[in-house]
Amino acid sequence: MLDFSAPREPSTPREPSTPRKPRVSGTLKPLRIAVPKGSLYRESIDLLTQAGLDTRGLIEPGRQLVIHNEGVSFFIVRPTDAPVFVAYGGVDCGICGKDSLLEAELELMELADLRFGGCRFVVAEPAAAHGAAEDSYRRLGVMRVATKYPRIAASYYDSIGVQVEIVKMHGNVELAPLCGMADRVVDITASGSTLRENDLVIVDEVLASTARFVGNPSSVRIDPRVNELAERLKALVGKEPPRRREA
Amino acid sequence: MIPITPRGFKDVLPDEARWREEIITCVQARLALWGYDPIETPTLEVGEVLELGGTLSDQALRLIDSDGKLLVLRPDVTLPVARLVASRRGFAERLGERPLRFRYTQSVFREQESLRAQAREFTQIGTELIGKTGAAADAEVVLLFSEALAATGLSDYTIVLCTVGVLRELITACIRVGDLPSEWGASVLAASHRSDLVALQTLVDDPRLPKHYQAALLRIFGIRGGREAIEECRELVDGLDCMDGLEQLATSYAIIEQSEAHAHVLLDFSVMSDFDYYTGMVFEAYAPGLGLRLGGGGRYDRMLADFGLDAPAAGFAFGLERAMHALLTQEGADRANLGGADLRRLSIDDDDPAKAFREAQILRAQGLRIALDFAPSTETEDREDA
Repeated sequence: MLDFSAPREPSTPREPSTPRKPRVSGTLKPLRIAVPKGSLYRESIDLLTQAGLDTRGLIEPGRQLVIHNEGVSFFIVRPTDAPVFVAYGGVDCGICGKDSLLEAELELMELADLRFGGCRFVVAEPAAAHGAAEDSYRRLGVMRVATKYPRIAASYYDSIGVQVEIVKMHGNVELAPLCGMADRVVDITASGSTLRENDLVIVDEVLASTARFVGNPSSVRIDPRVNELAERLKALVGKEPPRRREA
Repeated sequence: MIPITPRGFKDVLPDEARWREEIITCVQARLALWGYDPIETPTLEVGEVLELGGTLSDQALRLIDSDGKLLVLRPDVTLPVARLVASRRGFAERLGERPLRFRYTQSVFREQESLRAQAREFTQIGTELIGKTGAAADAEVVLLFSEALAATGLSDYTIVLCTVGVLRELITACIRVGDLPSEWGASVLAASHRSDLVALQTLVDDPRLPKHYQAALLRIFGIRGGREAIEECRELVDGLDCMDGLEQLATSYAIIEQSEAHAHVLLDFSVMSDFDYYTGMVFEAYAPGLGLRLGGGGRYDRMLADFGLDAPAAGFAFGLERAMHALLTQEGADRANLGGADLRRLSIDDDDPAKAFREAQILRAQGLRIALDFAPSTETEDREDA
């Protein structure tokens, strides 16, 4: 069972029949929102501001990780951790990329497509080694793929019926094929420039991703503010075409 | 070698064990008041047998015994109870007279990835009401669930209730009207199970689907509230040929409304649980301060038939550990008798050891808790355990 709480002092026993003070369900507490730092950060803040939230101090948070404003608390998180904070109820809701959601595979509610932070998952290989990956697959029966997203990569290769060995990396994935450690990479790209600069060419598309507004299932059910915010965000982003994530 | 337990399996030490015992006793006593009888099923079930009642998720913990049989550690209690009732002699006849009512406290086992802070063994408290379907039976299950949660000491919890009927019927109607493939319906169900409203929007934006069907599918997930939610849903699906499930829900809710539990029960049409076996009402319970579901349940009228006995069934289960977690976050919640402050100690006199045993028995007969001190000591004292 989950227990994130600090060890508690043993409390004095009380009679089971003592009436409890009625409590208003959460509504007086500030709404807790996870905001991903990095490429989605600025646009997340813009959108939350337009939605009428008090985002003062969020643009220049310094070393602060939590910003407490009127009626709302912002938690500045690593993009890949945002789904964890939301699913486990550390926050009521948050913004994160579809990519992080797919990779985390956690139980949370995907409430709105925010249509910014557009990027694609692609398969790439060194331009110079064109054909080598296929050759390796044909003669060794296996292909080695480096990625920061092992779950997405695995489900993609499973779906196309190709058996691969996946190497989980934490960054600079492009290096793996360049030094011959892997045949290909599965990575996200917005404009493709990082891949090009490292002499990698895209050989396949895996899926497209944009930023999403997500909610903790418990919070969505018992705190109407989460859905209200989702509706406001949906109205703001409308149906304009997705905007690319600046890489 | 460090003597550890497997990941996600833990020891229960006295402070926690006392509290668990107190809650279990309280809740089970409450369930007994409703005429529910205790039941126990084995820890292990035969894999292929349990599979009759529904696809076992990857989360089921499996092992192979020395007969080469694939065994499953029970991933819930509903499937084993359905298996039990359908297969054991005598239940079919008893069902002819009146429904069966069972209650249980059993640990269940589910595989979890490492580093996800999730237990692989946890305790479910729940009930099964077998042999009766309809609005009144549904209401009994929900009301009892509410009483069970209250009996844990929780004051602030919400049960969100809906029916899978409306969505299923609406999807069927959409497929018929829009001449859509059945895979489309499966995708819509899957998206709603995942609570992926973005994927749902994309699926619903199908030009073959008339506008008011699109609107109904999208808006239904946003409907929540009391009696007015049923009206809102009724208006939304009016004329779309999917009213059956809704009417039964309305009748159940009318019963619930007139009970003390009504303050804790909300209608919420976004509730579609990830089990595929529900056939009617479905509900989940949440508590502020607990980001995870406390528990849930619903109606699964076809499950017993899969095990060979055609009988309707409904029930609920909640996680004891989750309820305790929620209790700790709720102000003024019941606390266990931490430390056992009412324990008295009596020393054994070396010259007449039997004396202390005799005296302790007299005091225990008066209902006092007495522990004997084996170490020589000169006085009897009250003591608080740390």
